[in-house]
Amino acid sequence: MTRTGAVEPPPAFRQQLLAAIPRLRRYARTLVFDAAAADDLTQTALERALAHWHQFDQQRDIAVWLVGIAHHAFVDDRRRHSRVVVTEPDELNEIHDSLRGATSDPGLRLDLIAAFDRLSVEQRELLLLAGVEQFTYAECAQALGIPIGTVMSRLSRARVALRLLLDGDGAPASRTLRRVI
Amino acid sequence: METNEHRPIDDVMLSAWLDQELDPAERARVDDWLREHPADAERVRRWGADRDALGARLGSVLAEPVPERLGQLVWRGTPPPAAPSHTRSRGWRLAAMVAFFVVGGVVGAAAMWVAQRPSALMSEASDAWVHRAALAHAVYVPEIRHPVEVNVADSPEADRAAQEQHLQRWLTKRIDTPVPLFDLRGHGFELVGGRLLPDALGTPCAMLMYQHQGGQRVTVYLRKADSSVPAAFQYEQEGDVGLFYWVEGRTGYALAGSLPRVQLLALAEAIYAQQQRK
Repeated sequence: MTRTGAVEPPPAFRQQLLAAIPRLRRYARTLVFDAAAADDLTQTALERALAHWHQFDQQRDIAVWLVGIAHHAFVDDRRRHSRVVVTEPDELNEIHDSLRGATSDPGLRLDLIAAFDRLSVEQRELLLLAGVEQFTYAECAQALGIPIGTVMSRLSRARVALRLLLDGDGAPASRTLRRVI
Repeated sequence: METNEHRPIDDVMLSAWLDQELDPAERARVDDWLREHPADAERVRRWGADRDALGARLGSVLAEPVPERLGQLVWRGTPPPAAPSHTRSRGWRLAAMVAFFVVGGVVGAAAMWVAQRPSALMSEASDAWVHRAALAHAVYVPEIRHPVEVNVADSPEADRAAQEQHLQRWLTKRIDTPVPLFDLRGHGFELVGGRLLPDALGTPCAMLMYQHQGGQRVTVYLRKADSSVPAAFQYEQEGDVGLFYWVEGRTGYALAGSLPRVQLLALAEAIYAQQQRK
């Protein structure tokens, strides 16, 4: 709604934005599983970025700035639709227990992505940003609006949790099922 | 950094070491520690391997073409007119196909299906039915407001049981085969509700939708089978939608979801087990 400024974003900025879309989409996909909903979130972030383009400091990595915008859009949205419950790290033990049932086939090991998807959204986004995107801890803290200490502890817990999920080997099969896969 | 001399070498330290976020003194201290503690070194090595594997797996999104509307938005600076969310999804083409099929289906499209599959018996030509299940999944799963005709999840807690009973009776009556409302809460999936789907051969099919806390949805399809010959579990992948289907008693079952196969299988097993108890 900042039409008063009436200064359109310069083409160079639009170009930067365009180049950052794939990474922004990937971040959104880490927050929301549904691809269409993730693209809606990406769209919201791009709209906000265009409306506030003058706030972007060219010294910074535009991906960090955009992730911050998307993160806050996601948090706003989640607050509005409080029906959506987010799995907290404390629930991990419960999840781990349920996994023992889920992987009843000894031949099946929990897939990396399946394990990743079971982490809390806060853990997933940090594993993506610090691990995959190679944001520095300071950049993560800036984008997510949390202290660096929280980035550090949450990230290390996320790594431990992911390993726990991947190492969780199944109990013997409780029931057999004909399968052709 | 005198205080850091006393900082214990814990998971947080090791994790920061992996990300090269330690200052040189701390880094040297952790280097020494890892040399003396092979178990910790192994743990950190695995974290690093997980990080790399995750990067490889999550990299596929980057290779996807950017949806046109996002590119247009950046250039024009104005969002395109709001479209219903299912037409925005990657599966919009599928969605359009099914919308056509569902809405005008009784005439033309149905004839097409029948022509393609003269006798779509579940046991031998199950792919037609399974394909439809995949299409319906692609259409209804992205729906925010009307994913189902009878919504159980939105009814007040007190009315929920009554609404579930209504859904079950309605679908059972319409598809002429028992429709149990499977309980997948053990896997984190709550029942959203159900709807009735038309079928090219005049046999309607029931769809049940379940939603995970993370927002992920799976759909279960039940259809009166043409043959009572039990068919073992089969798996098919249509785009990113995975499907398990089987026949038991006189009912054909299909489970669709964009989940890793292992996770989908766990749900299929749960449904199978519950159906056995009926």
